[in-house]
Amino acid sequence: MEQTKSFYDFSIPFNKDDKVMRALLKELVELGYKTIAIEQSFDHSKKTAGKRGSEMFPEPHKIEHLRKEFQDKLRILQRITILYVDVNVSHAMSVSLNLRKFNLIAGQPKTDAALTHCCTTFNGDLVTFDPVAGSRLLVNRKAYTIAVRRGMFFEIKYGPAIADSNNRKDMIKVAQNFGTKGKSKNIIFSSGAEHQFQLRGPYDVANLAYIFGLSEDQGKNAIDRHCRQLFLKAESRRLGKTIMFVKGNGPIVFSDSSDDNQSEEEDDEMDATKTELDGDDEEDVKDESSQPNKRLKVA
Amino acid sequence: STNRYIAVQIVPFTPTKALRFGDQTLSKCLLQNVEKYYGVYGLGLIEQGFRVKYCNERTKIAIIRCLHRGQRFVSSILPLITLIGDVRAKFRTLYVGATIIQCNKFIIKHQKQFLDKAMGQMTSAKERQDLFKNVMEIDR
Repeated sequence: MEQTKSFYDFSIPFNKDDKVMRALLKELVELGYKTIAIEQSFDHSKKTAGKRGSEMFPEPHKIEHLRKEFQDKLRILQRITILYVDVNVSHAMSVSLNLRKFNLIAGQPKTDAALTHCCTTFNGDLVTFDPVAGSRLLVNRKAYTIAVRRGMFFEIKYGPAIADSNNRKDMIKVAQNFGTKGKSKNIIFSSGAEHQFQLRGPYDVANLAYIFGLSEDQGKNAIDRHCRQLFLKAESRRLGKTIMFVKGNGPIVFSDSSDDNQSEEEDDEMDATKTELDGDDEEDVKDESSQPNKRLKVA
Repeated sequence: STNRYIAVQIVPFTPTKALRFGDQTLSKCLLQNVEKYYGVYGLGLIEQGFRVKYCNERTKIAIIRCLHRGQRFVSSILPLITLIGDVRAKFRTLYVGATIIQCNKFIIKHQKQFLDKAMGQMTSAKERQDLFKNVMEIDR
């Protein structure tokens, strides 16, 4: 099972200025985050009818130098947020090659119809709301339960809430709405921080849960467990139906030793995520030494 | 009679050496923000037993005391504060303890970790001594 480390922050907007990115990443390390995702947004609704059938989505930005610099301190994933109104976006997504290069796919619907589509049949992992004008869209109960059953997660960004007072009110409205419509399940927090001053430590973010209408336990889940579930779901979507995923990380050594200690705690995680993952049989095993008796752990 | 002691660190927007915060500035800032987000209802709830117990300008660490039932109001708005006094700064919650002794224990451990990191980069022995004296001075 793929190992991930707490804490998670899945929304760091990409900035062309490397200095700003470095300051952000440094602050994240200091605050205790270990897995983050750099976000790019793409506006599908603005695409004209000119390009048809060709690649619509951009490639991930080149961040290899940042990855190398923070190699053992941070795990840096890449995420794309697709703003859309038109349901035809699913077709564009299914023919896109660039999309598979991203770890996480988020959908940002702009209309009610798009929101329902996002909850029910969007081929992504996450539903976001526009920080500037998102409070018009409130989920309805049916779409919410369907999204929860599918394993879609809803994201609340606290960075814009810190900076701007109107936005704060909107975020609180959206978040409290989750509580009324469906007991605030499947919610994650992320920063959306443009500047390192908008970042807050994980303990602080969990404290914000009270304002957003979540219980303390849900708040702590929102920054830890749910983020890990989201990551696993995204990986399983990206890799398709796989049984085992072996990544070479050095010379292959054949040995009898099996890491039993690791598998015990992973089994607990597996049980917890069993109900959330879709029917895809997915297994991520990073093995340097292939074991003679290949244990197949089925989700 | 049950209190909660919140240990926080103040992180300024621009890193400057020593900031002039007093108990009064911090206390006023926190109460203003509680009123801003929770109104007079919030103020009424937390004012009893609310006090800034300790504030060290050099290490930028402070301890806030409040009643157990008021703690969630205070800790929920700490992340939203961006202005303390007249300085742009943010709060970083370090620890919430039920007694001030536990809080102090945590702060001493935290200072030691900071010292270890900082001293490793300092070259002269005198600088090291000065830093040690400055940081470990918890006089209240």
